[in-house]
Amino acid sequence: MTLNHGHVGHIHFWDVAMTRRKFLGSAALAGGAAVTAGVWLPQLAIADFDTIATVLPRPIPGGVTPFGIFIHHFPPVPSIPPGPINEPSEITDFNGLVGVCRVTGAGTGTDLTTRATTRLSYQVDNGFMSGLYVGEDGANHHGTFAFV
Amino acid sequence: MDLFTGAVGTGQVHDFNPGIRESGLFWTQPVSEDALEVDLQDGTATLGLDDLDVEDYHTLLNALKDGPSDSASVSFEMRWKAIAAPMNVTDSVHRFSGRFQLSTVQIEWSAKAPNFEFVSDAASSTVNVKSVIGRERNGIFFGQD
Repeated sequence: MTLNHGHVGHIHFWDVAMTRRKFLGSAALAGGAAVTAGVWLPQLAIADFDTIATVLPRPIPGGVTPFGIFIHHFPPVPSIPPGPINEPSEITDFNGLVGVCRVTGAGTGTDLTTRATTRLSYQVDNGFMSGLYVGEDGANHHGTFAFV
Repeated sequence: MDLFTGAVGTGQVHDFNPGIRESGLFWTQPVSEDALEVDLQDGTATLGLDDLDVEDYHTLLNALKDGPSDSASVSFEMRWKAIAAPMNVTDSVHRFSGRFQLSTVQIEWSAKAPNFEFVSDAASSTVNVKSVIGRERNGIFFGQD
């Protein structure tokens, strides 16, 4: 266990290579890029454009309060009026593509010391945001983010 | 990404997430643009990440309190597929608007933590609770056409 005294978010993740996309066919990549380009071209001219975002976005102002702790996040369910869906983005001042989900399922956990296996159930609330956003520096940026 | 010894919500033993930023930005991590593929015309999206650095807070409450954690990593491949017609949504209370489609998601994922690893069952066994894909504007972009 590591005690995170005075922890102010996981900034250390910022400095490391974080992702490696599995191989994507060039045709699929071209298709995805075409959709994105159609949405963003008018505003790309005034936004930084990095392969991995280098300026953090800001959180949505709203959220929920599980265990009495306010968080800048709306879970996929239950729906909070007035809309049929909750705000799917974690990022404010954002104009882009979003996806969010809540899924459940099962799998196998392994104790690497004893090699004992256990069946476990899971819940995953994950998502993505990709597009134009105003960063913490107040400037426009373009980036892709995973909600994990 | 939460693991339970019992049914979902019962006996949580792992809670993998990248932490809450000082600004309050919630469990959000910048990733390579190559990690994401979106085709809204086809109603599909794929997000795939390998060995994403996260923390294992073990329980949701401990995660929200930023309590003790273990370094861990997760890998996943998840696919959204729209199952309903696009709908326009404008929520003036929460100040977002957009065009969204309810969808299903299938995921296959794994996690590594000290002395522990997890491998999910095949993606086809995923149970979808609620999923959405779309395009939105919020904050200063809310209300812009």
